[in-house]
Amino acid sequence: MTDETLDAPMVRDKQTSWFKRLLKRLEPTLWVFASLSIFVGFWEFAWWRGWANPLLLPPPHIFLANLTDQFRFFDPGGTRAGALATGGSIFSVLGVIAWSSFRVTAGLVLGFTLSLAIGIGIRYFKIFGKLMLPLVTMLAPISPVAWLPVAVFIFGIGNPPAIFLVFIAIFFIMTLATLSQIDNVPAHYIQLARIMGCNKRQIYRHVILPAILPELFVTLRMNLFAAWMVVLIAEAVGVGSGLGQVTMMARNTFNASLVFFTMTLIGITGFAFDQALRYVQRKVLWWVGPSSVGGL
Amino acid sequence: MTLGLKITNVSKTWNPDGPEPVPAVRNLTLDVALGEFVVLLGPSGCGKSSLLYIVAGLEDATEGSVTFDGLDVTEPSPERSLIFQEAALYPWLTVRDNITFGLKIAGQTYKKQKDAAERLLRLVGLVGAGDKRPHELSGGMRQRAALARALAMKPKVLLMDEPFAALDIQTRARMQGHLLNIWESSKASVLLVTHSIEEALALADRVVVFTARPGQIKAEIPISAPRPRDMRSPEMIHLAIQCEALLAEEVEKSFKEQEQELA
Ligand SMILES: Nc1ncnc2c1ncn2[C@@H]1O[C@H](COP(=O)(O)OP(=O)(O)O)[C@@H](O)[C@H]1O
Ligand SMILES: [Mg+2]
Repeated sequence: MTDETLDAPMVRDKQTSWFKRLLKRLEPTLWVFASLSIFVGFWEFAWWRGWANPLLLPPPHIFLANLTDQFRFFDPGGTRAGALATGGSIFSVLGVIAWSSFRVTAGLVLGFTLSLAIGIGIRYFKIFGKLMLPLVTMLAPISPVAWLPVAVFIFGIGNPPAIFLVFIAIFFIMTLATLSQIDNVPAHYIQLARIMGCNKRQIYRHVILPAILPELFVTLRMNLFAAWMVVLIAEAVGVGSGLGQVTMMARNTFNASLVFFTMTLIGITGFAFDQALRYVQRKVLWWVGPSSVGGL
Repeated sequence: MTLGLKITNVSKTWNPDGPEPVPAVRNLTLDVALGEFVVLLGPSGCGKSSLLYIVAGLEDATEGSVTFDGLDVTEPSPERSLIFQEAALYPWLTVRDNITFGLKIAGQTYKKQKDAAERLLRLVGLVGAGDKRPHELSGGMRQRAALARALAMKPKVLLMDEPFAALDIQTRARMQGHLLNIWESSKASVLLVTHSIEEALALADRVVVFTARPGQIKAEIPISAPRPRDMRSPEMIHLAIQCEALLAEEVEKSFKEQEQELA
């Protein structure tokens, strides 16, 4: 191919191709808005027709209307469930979001590293594996919510029980996922490492670990939402300030607008978390093609 | 002491204690001399890969012994490098780091690794591809990278399990030429598995035809014609017809067997 054949039409179409490129960049975002519009549009329509009671199901234009009024209920310093009207600015809202985010992040980091370590340990040390595996398999199906009283008995209230619950929500699943990933490392990868002179430790370090990380990261992302749900529950029953606490307070005071406003914040924050994890995944695990990343 | 590879009365049964043991290789004896190029030709499923795994030291023979340069083969070694049908490059490493993987494990200095990588990339015709990732290479290039990775460890014998089977015909022919050049300059022995008669005749000093499962040696055909060989010469055509007849019998047998198993 010569340059002329490529360039000549390009110059003429510069305007359109520039526009097309922009459109292509923006396309995912446009779809996000389109997707949201359907939902919001339907809701607003229901309100307009009088199907939805504005006191119980206030549509977005109502619960997003008086933001400062909503902000009052956000108190990042508050540790009492039902604390009222000590917040007030956008910063107090961000503070509350930050607390919830911190608990989720701490729980995820702990859960991910420990499940990886235990999972590898189970396969690496045979006896340890035989002792641990039945335990992990039996504890795995217990809902994190059932751990809630345990968390409070052990840690009282504050951050630790919430972090512990997030940890519990992902730890067992991630440990089992680690085992299944280890078992599914292509046999050729390991045979090759043996031929190249790797001992057992080197096989785990140089072959198994990098081979399993990408899929485990995808599993982590899939369980991100479970982690969020758990943290909200923990906050709702009173471990301290956070989005879950605000939701519960809104429920107790029959403030439907505040419920939906908080739910919106939760949705946006969860979405941002997923995007952030995807970013980390792309940067750290560069060998994974975009096709296997999944999701939006 | 005999130099080279010596396979004596080797049998291999998979799942020997299971409900359905699979006899893959039976009582097989084969020597590969120093620098010799031997090709194993046989219908698929006849135990060729099983034999290569045993020679590589990745699997134990159920019976018999394998020695290399007079020493028992008990575990894998970079001296007896294995090349699979799919290159099995590590996707998390660049092509260069894949090639020097064994050197790194052996604790060689970074400088030595880097020099070796450049030399090997040149040898297999991948200059400039060192920083690429495996999935950016074509099938033929990946297989060349795998070859370079094996050569980095200065193997005494290259075990190759249908290395070009996944490539298109044109790439295949080029790769065969390439392999012959590398073999001639490295003086390593080669034990290569294929089910392509043409490939066997183009490459081998000696073609070993396998029977259907469990694999035994049906015939050995030495080929002394100089390389590169003209497949249309009367001598080659004659050999091809001979191989085809031998192979057809065994393929027939293995088909019959499969039908019986299903019935
Ligand atoms: N790891 C294994 N476990 C159990 N059976 C195997 C294994 N590898 C190969 N086999 C069986 O041994 C027989 C010979 O296989 P293989 O050596 O791969 O043949 P070939 O390479 O000639 O096609 C086949 O029936 C196959 O199913
Ligand atoms: Mg095979």
